[in-house]
Amino acid sequence: MTLPKHLYKTLEDIVGTRHISDDPAILDSYRYSLAHTAIHLGPFYDTFTPRGAAVLLPGSTEEVQAIVKLCNQYKIRFKASSTFWSAQGYPSEDNTIQLDMRRMDRILEIDEKNMFAVIEPGVIGATLQAEAMKVGLNTHIPGSGCSCSILASATSYFGSGPSNLYGGWHYENLLGVEWVMPIGDIFKIGSLGSDCGWFCGEGPGPSMKGIARGFLGAKGAMGVFTKCAIKLFAWPGPKTLPVEGIIPAYRAPLPENFRAYTVAFPSWKAWADAAYLIWETGLGYLAHRQFNMFGRDLKYAMVKILTDPTKTLGDLEELLDDPEVQKVTEDSMRDFQIVLVGMTPRDIAWQEKAFDEILARTGGWKVEAMNAPEIHDWALLYLIRLGHKNLNLVFGGSYDGCFGLMGAVDFGTTHVEEAAMFKKEWEKRGAVVEAGGDCTMGPIGGMGGGGTGLWENFTCFDPYDKESVDGTLEFFDAATRYGLEKGWGVGMEKWNSQNRGPNGKTTPKEERDRIHLGAPQPSVFRYQGKVREAFNPNDLGDAYYETLDG
Amino acid sequence: MALEDFAAEMDRCSQCSYCKWIPYDQVKSWRFAKNCPSIAYHNFNSYSARGRYAVGRSLIKGQSGYSDTVRDIVYTCLTCGSCDVSCKVCRYNLEPLEMVRELKFGLVKDGQRLDEHQALINSLNKDGNTMGKPRSERGKWADGLDLPRLLMEKTEVLFHAGCRLNFDSEQQKSARVAIALIQKAGISIGIMGENEMCCGGRIYSMGYRDEFKRLARANLTAWSKAGVKTVITSCSDGYHAFKRLYPQVGSQVEVLHTVEFLDRLIQEGRLKFRSEIPMTVTYHDPCHLGRQGEPYLPWVGVEKKIKGQIIVYEPNKPRYNGAWGIYDAPRNVLRSIPGVELVEMERIREYSWCCGAGGGVREAYPEFSEWTASERLAEAKATGAEALVTACPWCERNFLDAAETLKDSMKIYDIVDLVQKAI
Repeated sequence: MTLPKHLYKTLEDIVGTRHISDDPAILDSYRYSLAHTAIHLGPFYDTFTPRGAAVLLPGSTEEVQAIVKLCNQYKIRFKASSTFWSAQGYPSEDNTIQLDMRRMDRILEIDEKNMFAVIEPGVIGATLQAEAMKVGLNTHIPGSGCSCSILASATSYFGSGPSNLYGGWHYENLLGVEWVMPIGDIFKIGSLGSDCGWFCGEGPGPSMKGIARGFLGAKGAMGVFTKCAIKLFAWPGPKTLPVEGIIPAYRAPLPENFRAYTVAFPSWKAWADAAYLIWETGLGYLAHRQFNMFGRDLKYAMVKILTDPTKTLGDLEELLDDPEVQKVTEDSMRDFQIVLVGMTPRDIAWQEKAFDEILARTGGWKVEAMNAPEIHDWALLYLIRLGHKNLNLVFGGSYDGCFGLMGAVDFGTTHVEEAAMFKKEWEKRGAVVEAGGDCTMGPIGGMGGGGTGLWENFTCFDPYDKESVDGTLEFFDAATRYGLEKGWGVGMEKWNSQNRGPNGKTTPKEERDRIHLGAPQPSVFRYQGKVREAFNPNDLGDAYYETLDG
Repeated sequence: MALEDFAAEMDRCSQCSYCKWIPYDQVKSWRFAKNCPSIAYHNFNSYSARGRYAVGRSLIKGQSGYSDTVRDIVYTCLTCGSCDVSCKVCRYNLEPLEMVRELKFGLVKDGQRLDEHQALINSLNKDGNTMGKPRSERGKWADGLDLPRLLMEKTEVLFHAGCRLNFDSEQQKSARVAIALIQKAGISIGIMGENEMCCGGRIYSMGYRDEFKRLARANLTAWSKAGVKTVITSCSDGYHAFKRLYPQVGSQVEVLHTVEFLDRLIQEGRLKFRSEIPMTVTYHDPCHLGRQGEPYLPWVGVEKKIKGQIIVYEPNKPRYNGAWGIYDAPRNVLRSIPGVELVEMERIREYSWCCGAGGGVREAYPEFSEWTASERLAEAKATGAEALVTACPWCERNFLDAAETLKDSMKIYDIVDLVQKAI
């Protein structure tokens, strides 16, 4: 659809000529390939999300508000996205206006004393972290990496990532919010709504985070979040990361109060016990099963490639034949990474001692090869900045998670091996990368424990290869059936299917209703239906704000 | 190659937006975290490498056609290669810079040219230079210098001044200084004088591949006749053309940038400084000397898959990601000048911000080009430096022009001019 000329002109008057376009080439750069990875839906070969009616680049809250009001007047759908990591940020329907929030990218304030930052949607993890570090603070970075919008992570998604352990999930870190509601009114959430500043997401002032976010984030379906305050946490390190090394093997030799370990365990039970002891003890700055995303069989060889600028993927097979690599690979089968950060010398000494005790009690060990200085400093930088998340796609160009269920680590550890063996058999068929079956990765829970553990099992494939795409989809379907059969529930591979279908558009209502009615808590979606009726009467969002009638 | 040859990459690009930022590990502030001037200025996705992949795909699938917008999207790429560096922090099977070049080649081939670029090509065809100057003025910068002129005489070492140093009267002195420094070291060096031709590097970056090849072959023939074994140039565009592009049409000539040569002389004690220059300076890495200054490695091979779906190449494919560009030589030279204190900007070496002069942008999009240069001036000022030093006359010219427009007091130097001051 092309917008009527008068409407285009009105929108142009709002954002300026330079910041609106309906040129087909521009619009096609705002479509997401479902052959690539639909983020827990497909993949579906040669399918794209719908082409928008126009793309707008608003530069202020006032502009966003004017656009949203106009959309209500003419009943036109709109979808805002900040950094476009996943299919969820793109239109689900034809005739949708795409708002690209990248011009609103200011860090408005860093309140050092009260440890929060006020940001706009386009602020990414890397820039906020860099600025926060200058004043001895840090931000939690979501698992999607530091390329992603912090505001979107906090207002519209899970906000989970490696530093959950110390920094909290981002939905927990969300303080005051400025929200352009679906009808175009501006609502200030939390202390901001009482003119008390940004410091609190609940009160004094309207406690509306739940309404605005909905279940696990509204994902751009309920208006536009234009500013928010986000909680920061302590950074007892240098004001700038001291990065050394030749690209891509950058590394950061940080002071003695920073340690990065890869630890491994003799059994999954020991692995889970160690996680519980970490939470009970209250140690650790960041903990994640990170490098296993390359796969149990490939991870150490990949670390060798990534820490040596002369090596490429073409060296992988030779490395896999290296007995030293094989030994480390075997040694680190059930592993995770942890970063200990001491606020004082005594603190790091205590954490080291306590962590050694945890390893002793669980039979775990530090994987010594990962302590080689060039690897240690590379891993430390990788985990703190989270600037290499695109390694998710390093093998064939695409990946998606499968299995991966939210729950306590006991739950994850009971199914991880069986799921891995199931996947390993499928890997042999050739459609997905043969990596050892277990490519399970994810955070070691959240603050105080619990939450996710053994989050998702990466499945890597080639989006340009129809057989690979179709084979991956076939595997995902099989994984879903297997998960249901085993009583684990529907895995991550189908999480998006209640909202977006194989054609890239909204899943038909009957199908959505069927899925939501079968969910453990269907009342959540009924409640959200009422919220949508009240706050989004013209229904100009999409199905990512999940609802049920009645 | 043709655009269709990049169809696989268009699907394999994950649209992650790494191409819009310097490598994240290197981000030191909000202000200087972006890498691609084109997306930073225009903001629509289409103006980034990920967007250009999408536009390329849309074009080859026939979902969109040529338009003024498409021409702007393609020709506002400076071909600075910063997207390529950031992409390859994680990816081993994408070549965004090559793809964007192919987009430009395709537009030129299909007649989708810009008038400003065509005027430059006309000048090249008529007078052999990209500056719109008469052919007869070429080589005049060296009038009065005692230098062998090829092809009348023969020398093994050739100094190639390039279009800008030949015809920009304000900058010609840098060529004379370079010659003086080389001669001072006892090297017998010659020039082509009025027979010198454009290197073709700039028109290559605008999309004129055939014209580039014609020039490259003509230059190589002339050098061969003159017995040239080594080419020294102070122009980073020329350096890149000779070092990376000419081997693809058969060149085996050794190529040195003046800074490499000076660094070598200083290390060997053959160049001594006598004066102190009390000055705090910062150094701008030219894209074509830095991240694109890596040596050419011949490769003929095919894509293959291992472990089911891991994409590799048989034989191993050379990886150009800026790791091995010329970064240390200019810094060594600056640090060896008595009194000079080198302070670094935030975006340096392989993730340096472009000056804005490349890819035909200076000629066709002057406002955007100047904005790009002004961003670099702001970054230089943030270091507290009094002077911005570079090693490319195109960068220098763009900075000089931007500084003049902005009435910025930042001094701009070619590195050889600073060296000359200290001798």
